[in-house]
Amino acid sequence: MATTPNLEERLAYLNHRRESGMTSNDSHARVRIQSAADIMAARQRGRAVASQGGFCNSDLTIITTAIYEVARNIVEHAVEGEITIALINDAHKRGVEIVASDRGPGIGDLSLVMRDGYSTGNGLGIGLPGAKRLMDEFEIASELGKGTTVKMKKWAT
Amino acid sequence: MHTNEMTAADHGKSTVTERRRELARDYAAGLQHYLSQRDDEPALARALELGRKALTDGLGVLEMATIHSQAIVATLDGRLTDDAKSWLLDGLERFFVQALAPFEMAHRGFWEANVILHRLNDVLEGQAKRIAFALHDEAAQLLAAVHLALADIARKLPPERAQELQSTRALLDQIEQRLRNLAHELRPPILDDLGLVPALEFLAESVSKRSGLRVTVEPSIERPLPAIVETTLYRITQEALNNVAKHAKATHAAIVVQQHPDRIVCSIRDDGIGRKRTPAAGTRTRGLGLVEIQERAAALGGQLRLSGAETSGTDVTIEIPLER
Repeated sequence: MATTPNLEERLAYLNHRRESGMTSNDSHARVRIQSAADIMAARQRGRAVASQGGFCNSDLTIITTAIYEVARNIVEHAVEGEITIALINDAHKRGVEIVASDRGPGIGDLSLVMRDGYSTGNGLGIGLPGAKRLMDEFEIASELGKGTTVKMKKWAT
Repeated sequence: MHTNEMTAADHGKSTVTERRRELARDYAAGLQHYLSQRDDEPALARALELGRKALTDGLGVLEMATIHSQAIVATLDGRLTDDAKSWLLDGLERFFVQALAPFEMAHRGFWEANVILHRLNDVLEGQAKRIAFALHDEAAQLLAAVHLALADIARKLPPERAQELQSTRALLDQIEQRLRNLAHELRPPILDDLGLVPALEFLAESVSKRSGLRVTVEPSIERPLPAIVETTLYRITQEALNNVAKHAKATHAAIVVQQHPDRIVCSIRDDGIGRKRTPAAGTRTRGLGLVEIQERAAALGGQLRLSGAETSGTDVTIEIPLER
């Protein structure tokens, strides 16, 4: 029923999926992030994993949006990185944890990148600060010259 | 009566999920009703009410979009095949909701900023209080000590030299007066000493004595107010009463304060000559008048309303939202 808007794009994406060494099972996925196509792959794997975790549709949208934002951040500011998505449990709840790490230039002042509008969107609250607001937990660590790691969690309600 | 109480109690206990479900039901019913009537203003107003309820219940843009998508599909029940329904639901619930995700992020940013702003206001008010106390009480004590020391010196001097200290004392008195005014400007001590309502009554009395205007206070405040709201209400009333006394040629002014669960409303009414014939606010040199009142209210997310006939009586009403 759904039509594919651009066949070439779709084929490139499928090829890419085969070659990019994506690994996954139902509760865990790892995606290398180097290009825009990888952002799509990360979203797709993230959705697949999270939908095993008992999330409703609008939570899945929130999770894939947050994945998009951290993946986009890697593509824009670092040469390459990876995103892992895993189902997690604690004593009372189930959730999903997303870790995005890159070997990019790193960020000198973390409070600056978490300020609305610093890198994107004219202060409208999208980008990394937006991802933080969508998720239940969000940590960012960075070292100049070494890279940046974002770890975020969403709990199923 | 009994059932009402039960509903209220249930509502208090109900979880976010239950409230969301209830809202989804009401929304679907409202939409169904609207689509069967068309151009029905009350049905549209109902949509607005549901949106307001959703917002105050803490629902986000995405949840609203999901509720809408599901309600749309539910209205088409019986007219579509199951395939067509799931196709439509996918387009609405996934594609549309995804497109709205940036708005959700911005919306959450707004909430966050709002909370920070409220906290900041409290911090500022606390600081103002401390500075006011330091100026009013601590500095005044030091000045009193200086006065005593001067008197001591004066006693040891020959009378003609002691006279020279008089001008220094006058300067000290001026400093004390300035400090007291400054402290009062920051946070009227009467608010902490007596509370808002007695402070307003005291204000009314002093304006009455000074100007001959009869001023009544009609307060209805059930819960204690945040300090910053008290200061703002006090200042606004002070400014408005001064305006009335100076310009309105009124015989009577009433201060009416009413607390609602979600807001506080304060009106200052007079029976004077009305706004049209009162000199314009901008032409005066002292006191910013309505502009200042408006800005003070706006700093707390409130607003100013002016009503009453243009040529007789004025009603200045300020509404400030309160956190539940």
